[in-house]
Amino acid sequence: MPLAGKKKRKKPSGKKSELDSALGQISDESVAATKEEFQDLLSQAKGDTSELVRQNAEELERRLVLLKKRKIDKEDFDFFVENQKRDLRVFIDSQPAQQQERAEKLTLRVLEIAAKVAIALI
Amino acid sequence: MNSTLVSRNVFLCVVALFIASCGTATFTKTGSDATIESLRNFELAFIDEFAVPGKKFNAAAFNGKVNEGNAKFQQAIADEKFTARRPVLVNLKGQFDADAAHLQSKASRGKITPALATEMKNDINKTYDHALGR
Repeated sequence: MPLAGKKKRKKPSGKKSELDSALGQISDESVAATKEEFQDLLSQAKGDTSELVRQNAEELERRLVLLKKRKIDKEDFDFFVENQKRDLRVFIDSQPAQQQERAEKLTLRVLEIAAKVAIALI
Repeated sequence: MNSTLVSRNVFLCVVALFIASCGTATFTKTGSDATIESLRNFELAFIDEFAVPGKKFNAAAFNGKVNEGNAKFQQAIADEKFTARRPVLVNLKGQFDADAAHLQSKASRGKITPALATEMKNDINKTYDHALGR
C-alpha cells in the first residue's frame, strides 16, 4: 500500500459536505485552529493515493456526521477511533521510513484531532 | 553418462519436491484463510445477536457466546501452521475482545443504536479483509 509522496487533493466541488456544514456551526473560538488543521488534514487524506488513508478519512467523516446526528454517542465514536488506530499502526509500520511521518499525519494525527473536534461538535 | 543421469534425477527430484512444497503451502494457506473466514462469520453473527436496539440484555447468553468465541480464537491460534499468521490471529482476537467489551457496556445499558451495529460490522469486515491481505 504505497503512500503518495506529494499531496493530491480532490477538486473542490463547490458544495459543502454534511461534515463541513456541521463544523461551520462550531462557534467555540478556542477550537478554531484545531478545526482548521483538522479540515486541512482530512482534505489531504481524502485525496491521498493510498486506499487505506482515504478509507480511514471517509470512515472518520461518516462517524463524525453520525455523532452530530446523535446516531452514535461519544463512547461509540471513541471506540471506533481506537479501532481505526489499531488497524493503522500495522499500516504505518509497513511504510518506508521516509513516508512514515506523512502517513502518521494523515491517519493517527487526524484521528487525534478528530477527538477534540468531536467534543465541540456535540 | 551415469553422472549425467544421476544429475538429471537429482534435478527432477528437487523440482518435484519444490512443486510438492508449493502445493502444501497453498493447501495450508487455503485452510488458514478458511479459518479466518469462519472467525469473521462468528463475529458478525455475534454482533447480529447482541447489537439489537431495544433487545433485553441476556448476560448469561452473552457470556456463553464470548466464551465460545475465546475458545475458537485460541484454537485457531494454536492450530495455525503459518507462524507469520499467528500475530494476525492474535490481532483479530484483540478486535473480538474490544468488540465484546464495548457491546457488553452498551447493551447492558440499553444504548445500542442501528448505526452502532452497522459500524461495528463495517470495522469487523475491514479488519478481516486486511488480515486476508485484501
